[in-house]
Amino acid sequence: MASESKTETATDSSSSNGRIGEVVLDVKDLKTYFVTRWGVVKAVDGVSFNLRKGETLGIVGESGSGKSVTSLSVMRLVPSPPGHIVGGEVYLQGENILDLSEKDMESVRGSRVAMVLQDPMTALNPVFDIEDQVGEAMKIHEGLKGDGLKATVIDMLRKVRIPAPDIRMKDFPHQLSGGMRQRVVGAIGISCSPAVLIADEPTTSLDATIQAQYLRLLRELQEDTGVGIIFITHDFGIVAKMCDRVAVMYAGKIVEQGDVRTIFNNPIHPYTEALIKSVPKMEENVERLYAIPGNPPSVTNRPSGCNFQPQCDGSNPDCVTQEPILVEEGPEHWVAYCAPCKDTHGCKWFPRDI
Amino acid sequence: MTSESGALLQIKNLKKHFHVGGGFLGGLGGQKTYLKAVDGIDLEIEPGTTYGLVGESGCGKSTTAKMVLMLEEPTEGEIYFEGQDALNMNREGRKNYKSSVQAVFQDPWASLNPRMRVENIIGEPLEINTTLSRKEIRTKVGDLLEEVGLQPYQAGLYPHEFSGGQRQRIGVARSLALNPKLIVLDEPVSALDVSIRAQIMNLLMDLQKEHGLTYLLIAHHLATVRYMCDKIGVMYLGHMVEEATTDELFDNPTHPYTQALIGAALPYHPDDEKEESILEGEVPSPIDPPSCCSYIPNCPETFAECNDNVVATKTVSPGHTVGHCAHCVDHYGCYWFPRVNPNIERNQ
Repeated sequence: MASESKTETATDSSSSNGRIGEVVLDVKDLKTYFVTRWGVVKAVDGVSFNLRKGETLGIVGESGSGKSVTSLSVMRLVPSPPGHIVGGEVYLQGENILDLSEKDMESVRGSRVAMVLQDPMTALNPVFDIEDQVGEAMKIHEGLKGDGLKATVIDMLRKVRIPAPDIRMKDFPHQLSGGMRQRVVGAIGISCSPAVLIADEPTTSLDATIQAQYLRLLRELQEDTGVGIIFITHDFGIVAKMCDRVAVMYAGKIVEQGDVRTIFNNPIHPYTEALIKSVPKMEENVERLYAIPGNPPSVTNRPSGCNFQPQCDGSNPDCVTQEPILVEEGPEHWVAYCAPCKDTHGCKWFPRDI
Repeated sequence: MTSESGALLQIKNLKKHFHVGGGFLGGLGGQKTYLKAVDGIDLEIEPGTTYGLVGESGCGKSTTAKMVLMLEEPTEGEIYFEGQDALNMNREGRKNYKSSVQAVFQDPWASLNPRMRVENIIGEPLEINTTLSRKEIRTKVGDLLEEVGLQPYQAGLYPHEFSGGQRQRIGVARSLALNPKLIVLDEPVSALDVSIRAQIMNLLMDLQKEHGLTYLLIAHHLATVRYMCDKIGVMYLGHMVEEATTDELFDNPTHPYTQALIGAALPYHPDDEKEESILEGEVPSPIDPPSCCSYIPNCPETFAECNDNVVATKTVSPGHTVGHCAHCVDHYGCYWFPRVNPNIERNQ
C-alpha cells in the first residue's frame, strides 16, 4: 500500500504526501441553470475541478455563489423543474454520471458518492431509529441483512465514535445530541465506502468544541478509507484546517483555484484576498476589521465585468457579455480574468454591486 | 431598592429554572423536575462598554438575555438598571426600561415580519412609544436606514428583497429607533457569511462610539467576542465559569473549559500548527447533571455535596474570577466542570 501510493506521488507533482492518489472525480465545465419567472439564473456557470483519492477540496464562497448547487449537481439531485444541468461532464471514477439513467444513478448515489448535509436534524428521519437509517444504504447497495447488517451498523457507529453503539443504535434522532446526530449522518455517508464524500457545511450548526471533534473525525475517516472529500464552506478557518486544495466560487464561477498554501500565501484574485482578510483573528486585538465593500451581484442581472477594480471604469459593454478567462498563474493555480480587459487593465473578473 | 454601583446593568444571583416534568399527577408521589437553565450568575456592565457572554448551546446565555429583555421572568435574583431595581418597577418604569433596552436577534430571516414593509418594521416602536407624527416617523426611519448603511428609498421594500447582511442592518436600525442605552445582541453575526460578518461588526462598533451605547453580546465565536468586547463571561451549564477583561481572558485562560474553547478555534493559515486540544465528551443534560467535577482526573469524588453542583468563585487576579467546585476547591483545587464522557476511566 505504502509503496503503491509513493509511485503515485512521484507521477503526480501536486500531491504533498503519499495519501493522495488518482483522480476520482473530474468535473468539466458544469453548468446548472434555474429557469424562473425573473429570467434564467445561472447558479453554476462553467465550473471545472477535480478531486483525487484521499484529498480534501474546499469549495469556498458566500451564500448564493453556487457552491451548494455544484454539489447537488454532482449528486444529480438538483430539483427539476426549475433546475437543469445544461452542460458539462462529471466523471466519477472515469464514468460520466450525467449520461446515466435515473435508475443507474440510484446505484451510484450513496455507494460511490455520498453527502453530509448541514443540518443533521433535517437530514435524519425522525420516525426511524438510527439502526434503520445507517443500515438502509448498505441493505440496498450491498445486499446485507440480518445479523450481518446489524454487525456492520455497529461497526460504522463505532467508527464515528458513538459510545455504546449496540445500545445507541436503537435510539431515535431526537434522543441524540447535535454532535452525535451529525456523527450518525457521517456514518450514513461513509457506510458504503464511497469514493467521494460531499460535506456541505457539516459543522455550521455545531458548537466550537463539537466542531473540532467532528473535523478530527472526518480527517481520521479519510485516513482510514482514502475517501476524497469535497468540503463546502464559507469559512476560511475550516479550509486552513482541513483542505489540501481550494476552489473559490463567486457568482456561479470559480475565480481562483489552487493548492491551499498557495492560496493563503499568494492569493491573486481580489475576492480571495478579501475573503481571507475578512476572517477576524482571535490572537489579535485589531482596531477595525476588513470588510468587502458592496454586495455580490444579483444572479439575474449581472453588472459590468470587473467594476470592483479601481482601474476599471466599467464602461466596456464587452465586460458584461464576454465570459471570464482562466489563466494558470502557477502550477495548478488558476485565476479568473475579465476577458476584454486582461491585457489592457489586467482586471480580474469580479462584478459587484456598489 | 437601589444599588450604588456605577454599572448600567447589574445582575445579582440570577436564576431561571424551567419546570420540565413531574409535579402534576406524578407530584403526588414524586418530585418536580427542573431544568436549571441559569443557576445563579452575577455580572456588571459599565456604561459605554461591551460585555460578552460566551458558551455553547444550552449553557443559558440566551435565557440570560431574555431575562434582561424581560421576556422571561427570573426564578430568583435581581437586575438593576442604572441603579434601579428593574424587576420591581411600576408600569411607567417598566415602559421606560423596555424602550431603553433593545435587542438584535440572531436570525435575520426569522426576526423580521415578512408581511411588513421596512418602514413599518423600524417605525413600529416609534409609533407605540413616542408622540411623533407619521411624517416625522418617516423622516426618522430614513435617517436610521442611512445610519446603518442603507438607502432611505429602501423603506418601502419588504424583508425578502434584502440579503442577509442587509436584513441584519434593518434589525440594528429597529433596535436604534428609541435611542436605547443598552442593546442585547444575541448572536448578531453567526447566521451570516464570514465575509458579511465584518461589515456588521464594524457597524455595531461605529454606532457604539457615536451614541455611547452599551452592549450585552451573546456569542459562541471567540474571534467575534475578542474584537467587540471589553469584558467577557464564559458560561457553562447555567453557571459563570470564568470572567475577565478581554485581553486577560485570552492571554491567561484559567478554567479548562475556556482553554478548550480557545483551543477549538479554527486556524487562519494551513501552516498555523497550533496545539490541538480537543475536548472529549459532551456537555451533560442540564436537567440532572452529574456531579460537578466528574471530568477532572484528580477528583476522587468522595464528597456527597459535590452532587449539589455548588460553584465557588475564586479570584485569579483583580477582575479575573474562575468557577471552582465549592466542596473540593480547598482539597484538590477542582474546577467546576461536569461533563459526560464514556471514555474517561475515573480514578477511584
